[in-house]
Amino acid sequence: MIRGRVIGSVWATRKVAKLDGQRLVLVAVDRADRVIVAYDTLDAREGQTVLVAVGSGARNVLKAGPDNRELCCDAAIAVLVDGQES
Amino acid sequence: MILGRVIGEVWATRKHAALSGRKLVIVRPTLWYAPAVDCGHLVAVDSIGVDVGQEVVVCLGAPARRSLGEGVNQPIEAAVMAIVDRVELSADRGQRPLTFVDGHAPNWAENAEREAVPNSVAGGPEPSQGSGQQ
Repeated sequence: MIRGRVIGSVWATRKVAKLDGQRLVLVAVDRADRVIVAYDTLDAREGQTVLVAVGSGARNVLKAGPDNRELCCDAAIAVLVDGQES
Repeated sequence: MILGRVIGEVWATRKHAALSGRKLVIVRPTLWYAPAVDCGHLVAVDSIGVDVGQEVVVCLGAPARRSLGEGVNQPIEAAVMAIVDRVELSADRGQRPLTFVDGHAPNWAENAEREAVPNSVAGGPEPSQGSGQQ
Protein backbone atom coordinates (compact mmCIF):
# COMPACT_ATOMS: atom_id res chain seq x y z
CA MET A 1 0.00 0.00 0.00
CA ILE A 2 1.07 3.56 -0.49
CA ARG A 3 0.37 6.56 1.65
CA GLY A 4 -1.23 9.68 0.32
CA ARG A 5 -3.68 12.44 0.93
CA VAL A 6 -7.12 12.91 -0.57
CA ILE A 7 -7.13 16.13 -2.56
CA GLY A 8 -10.30 15.92 -4.60
CA SER A 9 -12.99 13.94 -6.33
CA VAL A 10 -13.66 12.70 -9.82
CA TRP A 11 -17.14 12.46 -11.28
CA ALA A 12 -17.79 10.08 -14.12
CA THR A 13 -21.21 9.11 -15.38
CA ARG A 14 -20.10 6.69 -18.02
CA LYS A 15 -17.87 3.97 -16.74
CA VAL A 16 -17.27 0.27 -16.84
CA ALA A 17 -20.25 -1.74 -15.70
CA LYS A 18 -20.28 -3.32 -12.24
CA LEU A 19 -18.69 -0.27 -10.71
CA ASP A 20 -21.60 2.13 -10.72
CA GLY A 21 -22.20 3.99 -7.52
CA GLN A 22 -18.63 3.92 -6.34
CA ARG A 23 -16.90 7.15 -5.44
CA LEU A 24 -13.67 8.09 -7.15
CA VAL A 25 -11.18 10.34 -5.40
CA LEU A 26 -7.85 11.89 -6.27
CA VAL A 27 -5.02 10.96 -3.94
CA ALA A 28 -1.71 12.82 -3.91
CA VAL A 29 1.01 10.30 -3.23
CA ASP A 30 3.36 11.24 -0.43
CA ARG A 31 6.95 12.07 -1.37
CA ALA A 32 6.15 12.04 -5.05
CA ASP A 33 4.59 14.52 -7.41
CA ARG A 34 2.01 12.04 -8.46
CA VAL A 35 -1.73 11.95 -8.20
CA ILE A 36 -3.69 8.75 -8.63
CA VAL A 37 -7.38 8.00 -8.92
CA ALA A 38 -8.67 5.57 -6.32
CA TYR A 39 -11.97 4.09 -5.26
CA ASP A 40 -13.25 5.28 -1.92
CA THR A 41 -15.53 3.00 0.06
CA LEU A 42 -14.64 4.45 3.46
CA ASP A 43 -15.97 7.97 2.90
CA ALA A 44 -12.62 9.66 3.18
CA ARG A 45 -12.89 13.40 3.52
CA GLU A 46 -10.68 15.78 1.61
CA GLY A 47 -7.35 16.35 3.29
CA GLN A 48 -7.46 12.96 4.97
CA THR A 49 -4.30 10.88 5.02
CA VAL A 50 -5.04 7.45 3.63
CA LEU A 51 -3.38 4.22 2.64
CA VAL A 52 -4.21 3.12 -0.87
CA ALA A 53 -4.04 -0.48 -1.96
CA VAL A 54 -2.71 -0.62 -5.50
CA GLY A 55 -2.47 -3.37 -8.05
CA SER A 56 -4.33 -6.62 -8.17
CA GLY A 57 -5.16 -6.62 -4.49
CA ALA A 58 -7.07 -3.37 -4.66
CA ARG A 59 -10.24 -4.95 -5.97
CA ASN A 60 -10.56 -6.94 -2.76
CA VAL A 61 -11.43 -3.67 -1.07
CA LEU A 62 -14.50 -3.32 -3.25
CA LYS A 63 -15.56 -6.92 -3.13
CA ALA A 64 -13.99 -9.73 -1.19
CA GLY A 65 -13.63 -13.19 -2.52
CA PRO A 66 -12.15 -14.97 -5.47
CA ASP A 67 -14.93 -14.05 -7.88
CA ASN A 68 -14.08 -10.39 -8.10
CA ARG A 69 -11.66 -10.52 -10.97
CA GLU A 70 -13.98 -8.75 -13.34
CA LEU A 71 -13.71 -5.53 -11.32
CA CYS A 72 -11.72 -2.87 -13.09
CA CYS A 73 -9.91 -1.48 -10.08
CA ASP A 74 -6.20 -1.09 -9.50
CA ALA A 75 -6.34 1.40 -6.63
CA ALA A 76 -8.68 1.64 -3.66
CA ILE A 77 -8.50 3.32 -0.29
CA ALA A 78 -8.00 0.64 2.33
CA VAL A 79 -7.10 2.59 5.46
CA LEU A 80 -7.96 5.99 6.87
CA VAL A 81 -4.91 7.05 8.89
CA ASP A 82 -5.65 8.56 12.28
CA GLY A 83 -2.06 9.10 13.34
CA GLN A 84 1.37 7.62 13.10
CA GLU A 85 4.73 7.67 14.79
CA SER A 86 7.93 7.91 12.89
CA MET B 1 -5.97 4.37 -11.92
CA ILE B 2 -4.75 7.51 -13.66
CA LEU B 3 -6.33 10.43 -15.42
CA GLY B 4 -5.64 11.14 -19.06
CA ARG B 5 -6.98 12.54 -22.27
CA VAL B 6 -7.76 10.53 -25.37
CA ILE B 7 -5.69 12.03 -28.17
CA GLY B 8 -6.13 9.45 -30.90
CA GLU B 9 -7.06 6.00 -32.03
CA VAL B 10 -5.06 3.11 -33.37
CA TRP B 11 -6.17 0.83 -36.16
CA ALA B 12 -4.43 -2.46 -36.73
CA THR B 13 -5.50 -5.29 -38.97
CA ARG B 14 -2.98 -7.82 -37.86
CA LYS B 15 -2.82 -8.25 -34.16
CA HIS B 16 -3.00 -10.76 -31.38
CA ALA B 17 -6.15 -12.86 -31.48
CA ALA B 18 -7.21 -11.69 -28.05
CA LEU B 19 -7.20 -8.13 -29.31
CA SER B 20 -9.50 -8.71 -32.26
CA GLY B 21 -12.54 -6.52 -32.05
CA ARG B 22 -10.95 -4.31 -29.44
CA LYS B 23 -10.75 -0.60 -29.96
CA LEU B 24 -7.39 0.89 -29.12
CA VAL B 25 -7.02 4.51 -28.13
CA ILE B 26 -4.00 6.66 -27.40
CA VAL B 27 -4.16 8.28 -23.99
CA ARG B 28 -1.97 11.08 -22.78
CA PRO B 29 -1.75 10.86 -19.00
CA THR B 30 -2.22 14.03 -17.06
CA LEU B 31 -1.26 12.75 -13.63
CA TRP B 32 1.07 9.81 -13.47
CA TYR B 33 1.86 7.47 -10.69
CA ALA B 34 4.88 5.20 -10.77
CA PRO B 35 4.78 4.54 -14.47
CA ALA B 36 6.74 1.58 -15.70
CA VAL B 37 7.85 3.71 -18.61
CA ASP B 38 7.52 7.45 -18.20
CA CYS B 39 6.46 8.21 -21.72
CA GLY B 40 4.16 10.88 -22.99
CA HIS B 41 1.35 8.56 -23.95
CA LEU B 42 0.05 5.06 -23.64
CA VAL B 43 -2.27 2.84 -25.64
CA ALA B 44 -5.34 1.53 -23.85
CA VAL B 45 -8.21 -0.75 -24.77
CA ASP B 46 -11.55 1.01 -24.90
CA SER B 47 -14.67 -0.92 -24.03
CA ILE B 48 -17.01 1.94 -23.20
CA GLY B 49 -16.80 4.00 -26.37
CA VAL B 50 -14.73 7.12 -25.88
CA ASP B 51 -14.10 9.90 -28.37
CA VAL B 52 -10.93 11.76 -29.09
CA GLY B 53 -10.55 14.73 -26.77
CA GLN B 54 -12.35 13.25 -23.80
CA GLU B 55 -10.82 13.01 -20.36
CA VAL B 56 -10.80 9.47 -19.08
CA VAL B 57 -9.75 7.31 -16.16
CA VAL B 58 -7.41 4.51 -17.18
CA CYS B 59 -6.94 1.32 -15.21
CA LEU B 60 -3.49 -0.24 -15.39
CA GLY B 61 -2.02 -3.67 -14.93
CA ALA B 62 -3.67 -6.98 -14.23
CA PRO B 63 -7.05 -5.55 -13.16
CA ALA B 64 -7.33 -3.88 -16.54
CA ARG B 65 -6.75 -7.17 -18.28
CA ARG B 66 -9.11 -9.23 -16.18
CA SER B 67 -11.94 -6.75 -16.44
CA LEU B 68 -12.04 -7.13 -20.20
CA GLY B 69 -12.72 -10.80 -20.48
CA GLU B 70 -12.69 -14.25 -19.06
CA GLY B 71 -9.18 -15.26 -19.90
CA VAL B 72 -6.09 -13.98 -18.21
CA ASN B 73 -3.81 -14.56 -21.16
CA GLN B 74 -4.47 -11.38 -23.03
CA PRO B 75 -1.74 -8.93 -23.94
CA ILE B 76 -3.53 -6.03 -22.29
CA GLU B 77 -2.20 -3.79 -19.55
CA ALA B 78 -4.32 -0.66 -19.81
CA ALA B 79 -8.05 -0.18 -20.18
CA VAL B 80 -10.27 2.88 -20.24
CA MET B 81 -12.45 2.66 -17.17
CA ALA B 82 -14.52 5.81 -17.11
CA ILE B 83 -15.17 9.08 -18.88
CA VAL B 84 -14.56 12.04 -16.60
CA ASP B 85 -17.39 14.53 -16.20
CA ARG B 86 -15.84 16.75 -13.59
CA VAL B 87 -12.85 16.96 -11.29
CA GLU B 88 -12.98 18.85 -8.03
CA LEU B 89 -9.85 19.71 -6.10
CA SER B 90 -9.94 20.66 -2.46
CA ALA B 91 -8.72 24.06 -1.40
CA ASP B 92 -6.23 22.68 1.10
CA ARG B 93 -4.44 20.34 -1.20
CA GLY B 94 -1.20 22.04 -0.30
CA GLN B 95 1.48 23.92 -2.09
CA ARG B 96 2.51 21.05 -4.29
CA PRO B 97 1.51 21.74 -7.88
CA LEU B 98 -0.16 19.20 -10.04
CA THR B 99 2.10 17.58 -12.59
CA PHE B 100 1.18 17.26 -16.21
CA VAL B 101 3.05 15.25 -18.77
CA ASP B 102 4.83 17.61 -21.15
CA GLY B 103 3.09 20.54 -19.56
CA HIS B 104 -0.19 19.37 -21.05
CA ALA B 105 -3.01 20.72 -18.92
CA PRO B 106 -6.38 19.00 -19.21
CA ASN B 107 -9.44 21.07 -19.86
CA TRP B 108 -10.79 20.47 -16.37
CA ALA B 109 -7.63 21.77 -14.71
CA GLU B 110 -8.35 25.42 -15.22
CA ASN B 111 -11.77 25.27 -13.61
CA ALA B 112 -10.57 23.01 -10.85
CA GLU B 113 -7.74 25.33 -9.96
CA ARG B 114 -10.07 28.29 -9.87
CA GLU B 115 -12.53 26.51 -7.62
CA ALA B 116 -9.75 25.34 -5.36
CA VAL B 117 -8.42 28.84 -4.63
CA PRO B 118 -11.41 31.15 -5.01
CA ASN B 119 -9.86 34.09 -3.19
CA SER B 120 -6.80 34.47 -5.30
CA VAL B 121 -8.03 33.64 -8.77
CA ALA B 122 -11.76 34.17 -9.00
CA GLY B 123 -11.48 37.93 -8.62
CA GLY B 124 -9.26 38.29 -11.64
CA PRO B 125 -10.94 40.29 -14.39
CA GLU B 126 -9.01 38.56 -17.12
CA PRO B 127 -11.19 36.19 -19.15
CA SER B 128 -9.83 32.75 -19.84
CA GLN B 129 -7.71 32.83 -22.94
CA GLY B 130 -7.56 29.15 -23.54
CA SER B 131 -11.25 28.42 -23.64
CA GLY B 132 -11.19 28.00 -27.39
CA GLN B 133 -8.90 25.05 -27.37
CA GLN B 134 -10.42 21.68 -26.82
